[in-house]
Amino acid sequence: MAYLEARGLGRDFPGVTALDEIDLSIELGRTHILAGENGAGKSTLVKILTGSDRATRGSIAIDGHDPLEQPDLFRNIAYVPQELSLFADVSVAENLFMPFDRTGHGGIVNRRRMEAEAQNYLDRFGIDAKPSDLVRHISVPDQQLLQIARASTNQDMKVLILDEPTSALTAREVQRVFKIIRGFLDRDHAIVFISHKMEEVFEIGDDYTVLRNGKKVDAGRVAEIDEPALIRAMSGREVAIDEHFRSNRPVTDRIMTVENLSGHMFDNISFDLKRGEILGFAGLVGAGRSELMQTIFGFRKATAGRVQVEEQDWRLNDTAASVAGGMLYLSEERKHHGIFPLLSLRENIGLSVLSLTSGAAGIDFGKERGLVRRVIEDYDIKAAGPGQRISNLSGGNQQKAIIGRAMATTPRILIFDEPTKGIDIRTKAEIYRIMKELAEDGVGIILISSEMTELRRCASRILTMHGGRITGDFDAASSDTETLVGAIFATGSGADAAPRNDAEAHHVH
Amino acid sequence: MSTDTTAAARAPSVLSILIRNPLAGVFAALVVIFAASALISPYFLTAYNMSVIARGLAFVGLVTIAQSSLMILGELDLSLGTIGGLCGVVSGMLMVQAGLPWGVAVILALGLGMLLGFVNGFLVTALGLHSLVLTIGTAGIYGGAILVLTKGVAITGIPQGIQFLGRGDVLGIPVPFLIMLVVLAVALFLTLKTPMGRYMYAIGNNAAAARMLGIRVDRIRLLVFTFAGMLSALAGLLMVARLGTAQPSIGQTWVLAPIAAAVIGGVATTGGVGSPLGAIFGAGIIAIIENIIVLFGVSPYWQGVVSGAIVVLAISFDALSRRYLRRDGA
Repeated sequence: MAYLEARGLGRDFPGVTALDEIDLSIELGRTHILAGENGAGKSTLVKILTGSDRATRGSIAIDGHDPLEQPDLFRNIAYVPQELSLFADVSVAENLFMPFDRTGHGGIVNRRRMEAEAQNYLDRFGIDAKPSDLVRHISVPDQQLLQIARASTNQDMKVLILDEPTSALTAREVQRVFKIIRGFLDRDHAIVFISHKMEEVFEIGDDYTVLRNGKKVDAGRVAEIDEPALIRAMSGREVAIDEHFRSNRPVTDRIMTVENLSGHMFDNISFDLKRGEILGFAGLVGAGRSELMQTIFGFRKATAGRVQVEEQDWRLNDTAASVAGGMLYLSEERKHHGIFPLLSLRENIGLSVLSLTSGAAGIDFGKERGLVRRVIEDYDIKAAGPGQRISNLSGGNQQKAIIGRAMATTPRILIFDEPTKGIDIRTKAEIYRIMKELAEDGVGIILISSEMTELRRCASRILTMHGGRITGDFDAASSDTETLVGAIFATGSGADAAPRNDAEAHHVH
Repeated sequence: MSTDTTAAARAPSVLSILIRNPLAGVFAALVVIFAASALISPYFLTAYNMSVIARGLAFVGLVTIAQSSLMILGELDLSLGTIGGLCGVVSGMLMVQAGLPWGVAVILALGLGMLLGFVNGFLVTALGLHSLVLTIGTAGIYGGAILVLTKGVAITGIPQGIQFLGRGDVLGIPVPFLIMLVVLAVALFLTLKTPMGRYMYAIGNNAAAARMLGIRVDRIRLLVFTFAGMLSALAGLLMVARLGTAQPSIGQTWVLAPIAAAVIGGVATTGGVGSPLGAIFGAGIIAIIENIIVLFGVSPYWQGVVSGAIVVLAISFDALSRRYLRRDGA
């Protein structure tokens, strides 16, 4: 019998039905995939299952009982959010046991005992850190695992809900997390795994449920469905996953030249960006790709070197000059570098078109509304209206708003940093198409991505980075994944070379 | 619970409109308090009493506009009161001791206010200091300078010409109140209708994202600090004109009241939301309640307790209404 069961769940918000007629059953000892595009209702469903929101209709049962009558039952369901939610300047052990109500030390925190207990969890989850290390100083995958370990310090926990736990990880790190998740799963526990990534679904899932537009469209055993069928269920239409999005425009003159540029996390970087190409940047998290691009854009300080755009010296350390000169950088940190959470969708988009909408009499609100409406339509942003707060939109729609906002100006150079992180397949294809069209219009495009598939589908040329240096320059069409992965891990090119095995190389495809 | 809130959302009730638009909420509170005051005191609605309230509101109102603009940016300036006091005192010295024409003294004092605000802004942007902590320090310096300059003694003999700005009426409306309304109109235009205003809200929401969009974050911070210093100097000058003497105590009550007014009016101390208009409504609420306390002959010692209680009530209401909205899913 299912341990966690939902029957006919529905959730209405003013003017929208977020969930309708949802049935779900989670069995112990199995991994259940919850799949669906952005805005399909996954987050709403998870909130109801964890007790942080209530359904308008329907019922849930945990271990056969109604948790609304016995709220303690919600303690059996643990949730690990997608975004890291750790205290960066607090030790690993303290993060693990925060708020110290599960350590059983009475009211007093005994550091030695706490750290000894923490060590057990670190061993069990394979976290490469000391209990006394500050979380700030441990790696991103270790932080991700620490979040999972923290959830499992709850002795009552039976069902562990993981919300896209791999979105910040590279393929190799994903393998590590998966190994530990598999080891954790036993007959007394169940895992609910929320993911967009097909390879992950098929690698780790036992059962699946697909949501679309707030409704359950399909459910069953993972072994009995194939990838195209699952994508069809999620998107409601056929999506050609092998399609390429490389620019068809012949690559011509240089638009940007970077010479011997150095800064935080990277050193002595030189490369050219040509008009009409999409230039991919591959590398591990921490290879220095984002730092390099943020420095070219002027968000970070350059310590040496220079940048030229169309043979003119480019002013560094000044984002305003970069934007005015037609260079835009779209950060992977949507929350920290992208949205203005308390402002409406209209104000968020309107910010970048103020030069078009404002005159001597101030901002022309009518004109602004028109331009914003066009961006919302062109980029198919789903919102209750332009007045809705952007923080209430789904991640994918926020991303589309950020991209739409950038396109409303006329950029010459566009830098996309992980533009499809946490984005569903259909929206991904839309973003690829936008990049392709821009490249064919003569915009120089740089694409940073940790997904090798994405780079190979979009980029005409791929530069690999490792440890703050460029380790290779490849023609995307003629080089194979093995070679690229080798360059990313810098195998055979120095003392810090990481070992590479076939399983990993195979996974990055 | 959920059925009646969704019903309320479909056919917006008065309550839900009030809760959804923070400005409407504080305006309604202002109207209710105004009406209640008129009912419980026969002296409240008299022309004389109205002009007392308006005149009093003018000075603190100017500082409130300044402080709320900084708060939208996510900054606070605790030295605005002492900037006002110092500029008032300096204007008195320029007019009386240096014998300058009052017009020149006004321009110099406003310039000094801009300079002092600029210094605060410069230290915040260039050194990355926390504005709240920094301005505790500069408030001490500016306040100390008042005492050094005056030795605690008021400067008397302010020229008649300038006193019209503080004491005069136009069509029965106090001149300082009119000046405050003009400044408010300019501030509202700037914050709501210009790119500069949009940038202020953007920076208050997310300064890193604002830089990513190419907004010159530091330049705008500097500008608003400078503008805030000037408005505080204006309040100090008008106070000198009103009193006819330059008192070293001018500005002492302009530190916390404007912050309280802004919070009541829906401007968050964390930045990015609210408007100077809401803040002025908040200042109006405080002014009316202080007035009622006086009309009822309550000891002025109780005023602090009452205005403090209003702030606590206002922010509690705000937090509760936000929780209500969240449950609504809006």
